[in-house]
Amino acid sequence: MTAPPVGQHSPSPGTEPAKRRRERWAIGIVALLVAVLTFFEAHLAAVGGAVTFSSNIIIFALINLNVIFVVLLIFLVTRNVFKILLDRRRNLLGAKLRSRLVLIFICFSLIPTMLLFIAATNITTTSIKSWIGGRVGQALTGAIEMARERLEEEARALAPAAERAAAGVSDTVDPASFPRVLKSARSLAPAGTGLLFFEKGVEVARDGDLPPKVGAEILTRVKGMKEAADGKGSGTLIADEFAAAWRRTPGGVIVVAVRPLAPADAARIREIAKAYDEYHQVRLLDDPIRASYIGILILITLLIVFAASWMGIYLARQITVPVQLLAEGTEEVARGNLDVSLDYRSSDEFGTLVASFNRMTADLKAMKGNLEETNASLTRTYDELRRRTQFIETILHSISTGVIVIDRHGRIGMINKVAERLLRIPTDGAVGRMYRDVLREEHYEAIRSLYREAGEAAKGQVERQVELVVGEKRIAFRVSLTALRDDAGEYMGLVAAFDDLSQAMRLQRVLAWREVARRIAHDIRNPLTPIQLSTERMRRKYAAAHAEDPVFAECTQAILSEVNTLKHLVDEFTRFARMPVPRLEEGDLPMEIRTVVDSYRTSHPGILWEFRQEGPPRVWFDPFQIRRAVTNLLDNAAAALGERGSVMVTVAHDEAAGKVRIDVADDGPGIPPWDRDRLFEPYFSRREGGTGLGLAIVSAIANDHGGTVRMRDNTPRGAVFEMEFPARPPAKGSIGSAAPGIDDGRRGS
Amino acid sequence: MTLVRTLIAFISLSLLLLLSGTSNAGPPVPAISEVSGTIHGGEARVHFNLQNAFTPEMVEALKSGIEITFKTTVEVDRVYRNWFNRAMGKVEYTRSVRYEALSGVYRLHRNDGDELLPDVLGALERMTRFEVVVPVTGDVEKGKPYRARVRAKLDKVGLSEPLRSIFFFSSLWDVETDWARGDLKTP
Repeated sequence: MTAPPVGQHSPSPGTEPAKRRRERWAIGIVALLVAVLTFFEAHLAAVGGAVTFSSNIIIFALINLNVIFVVLLIFLVTRNVFKILLDRRRNLLGAKLRSRLVLIFICFSLIPTMLLFIAATNITTTSIKSWIGGRVGQALTGAIEMARERLEEEARALAPAAERAAAGVSDTVDPASFPRVLKSARSLAPAGTGLLFFEKGVEVARDGDLPPKVGAEILTRVKGMKEAADGKGSGTLIADEFAAAWRRTPGGVIVVAVRPLAPADAARIREIAKAYDEYHQVRLLDDPIRASYIGILILITLLIVFAASWMGIYLARQITVPVQLLAEGTEEVARGNLDVSLDYRSSDEFGTLVASFNRMTADLKAMKGNLEETNASLTRTYDELRRRTQFIETILHSISTGVIVIDRHGRIGMINKVAERLLRIPTDGAVGRMYRDVLREEHYEAIRSLYREAGEAAKGQVERQVELVVGEKRIAFRVSLTALRDDAGEYMGLVAAFDDLSQAMRLQRVLAWREVARRIAHDIRNPLTPIQLSTERMRRKYAAAHAEDPVFAECTQAILSEVNTLKHLVDEFTRFARMPVPRLEEGDLPMEIRTVVDSYRTSHPGILWEFRQEGPPRVWFDPFQIRRAVTNLLDNAAAALGERGSVMVTVAHDEAAGKVRIDVADDGPGIPPWDRDRLFEPYFSRREGGTGLGLAIVSAIANDHGGTVRMRDNTPRGAVFEMEFPARPPAKGSIGSAAPGIDDGRRGS
Repeated sequence: MTLVRTLIAFISLSLLLLLSGTSNAGPPVPAISEVSGTIHGGEARVHFNLQNAFTPEMVEALKSGIEITFKTTVEVDRVYRNWFNRAMGKVEYTRSVRYEALSGVYRLHRNDGDELLPDVLGALERMTRFEVVVPVTGDVEKGKPYRARVRAKLDKVGLSEPLRSIFFFSSLWDVETDWARGDLKTP
């Protein structure tokens, strides 16, 4: 796997000077190290003193090795340290731990190694100095002198024998006289003494048991002596194996009396001579030896430091590499990539950890697969449930009945908008809350009462008509409460359905008023004509007889006037009671409305009549009825304004909703809230002399067109009457069959 | 990487300067001089001197009992003016000297035997004057050019046992002459 790119740096103007500064520091440090090394080498050269430094291969090799290792060490350690520092700066995973471990390893190796180096150097120097000190030299010199004196003494003791033997020898060695000479010489020589006779550089005779080497050695020594050559000499010879005295005869024969040393003595003297030689050699080469030791110590120290540093980096890497891999793997897993498999094999705990991590990711991947399958199944189930729920909610929201579903714990499980609107329940957060907390106390008690009745009912269902206070009004509801039970009969909750009966009751009142109006019109219209005809006959017949009595004339006139009033009232009642079925035809609605408005401009010049058209003009309507409805609305507006004010008539077409709306807005005194409930009811008038049928007729026309009429406050003052009906004729048979569209203003306000 | 390259270049330059500085200072160069001799009757007798072979440090070492050995190589060639020279003989000759503290003499060891010398000057003289007999092959033509080539080098330095363990892989001094040439006479 590849490491995630973390903290990629790009060179920036701010980092470049810092980089150069670091380079200068690094070069300065290395230069200082090289200078120190140079000084050290020069110091070694000075220490080397006694021998030619340039030809001292070992020192040269050591120095070069040291330099090579120092360079290598610097290169490796610096490279790794810089790399670690760079990684640390880049916030790479594991860089901090690695740098800490390397620093600890280097410190723990460098400090004791340097202490050991210093101690070893001091010990070596001290040992060499003590070895070449004066006492040892004096002792060895004394020993060699003593050995020499002893040998010389022995050699001198042999001189009489050599002299006696030489005296017995004439110019040449005579074999005939040899026994006599030997006998004479032996008498003067210590036991074990041998005699050698040399003539012209060649051994010519010998006496005694002498090793062959001794003879050759004595011959060599005799040859090298000047005194032996000029014919006058005598002297002694000493070596580590013998002591000898020699004498030259006038004839040139050299007689040597030799006494070999005992093997133990010879060995002892050789040891003394060897120690003496070693001492002087060490003394001569003490500085190179010391330099060599120091060089070796330096090499060992550098090797230890190098090895420790390298080991520290290696161990740190051993630790941090799996940690870094694990961290990167964890990052990948956190990003959702479960295909991560760390490529790291080791028999230690990190290997186990990485293997566990790989196993964990594999398990997670398998579990994720299972979860995804389960999730897909749940999603499908959820989608199905949601579809069903939406279907149910759509049904609930589409019906005009308010529905509240309450679970067994008293929490609202479902509520439709009609219920929220009817009971004035806040639209947010009702679901899931206790219905006792959501509903008003009166509503809650009503439901509780019905719930108890439903519990007592055989089917768990009860239906009652109740009046509840909603807002500031009392509204009649038909409440149906049904207890929900599962197949086992366990109680699951209840469903409460609320139907607003005020519309239906109002419609019933309108229908009742129409019946009343029809009967009044029928019962009153019949006697009115005889009354009018009789009164007029009375006036024609008796007017002259009662010309002087004004009471007659006034009374008959009053009767006629009231009859006319009653006839007008009857006509209105008749029109109200016998509203014809509208005959819809496609026409120019704005033009019709404009014509009506224009007529009012003439009859009411003190009022500002404005007309505005929004949308296409062609809609389906009954021109006669619409003109009448608009005329009633404009009459009301003119009556409310008196002779001053403004009226805005707007015809708008909502194509999306497929409806047309006629707004009549005035800036008169408006309608007080307490009159609004009865505004569209027949025989309710706020004007003196009004029949109370104008707005009732408007409402009836709007209803007959499949629409509604409602009233709302104008801004900043006045009232707005909105009549709305479909722009196109609804399906056949639906005209007039819609619920009576007498809107008391609650819908839109 | 730029930093690393800079460091390597700097260190290399420093080493070059260091090595050149240490190799310039030194004693007089040892050399072979006065190569001469005769060639006659199947042998060549070559005389030559070894100059500047013993530095003061080597003399001191000699006095301290360190054995010093020189090995000389003598080659005899028949010289042709227009052709390659012909090798006629070659001898490697060693000569060593050592001071014996007990008897106070210098023992000179040659191929033909030892010689004891009482003082260091005599020993050095004997160590630097050579007369080497080189057996030659082929006929020696009178009046023809023959030449001897001689080279000497410090063969070994006889340190005592403990010091040999310290300086086991090197010699204390590195003395080696260039080849010296001299004509041989045909009597």
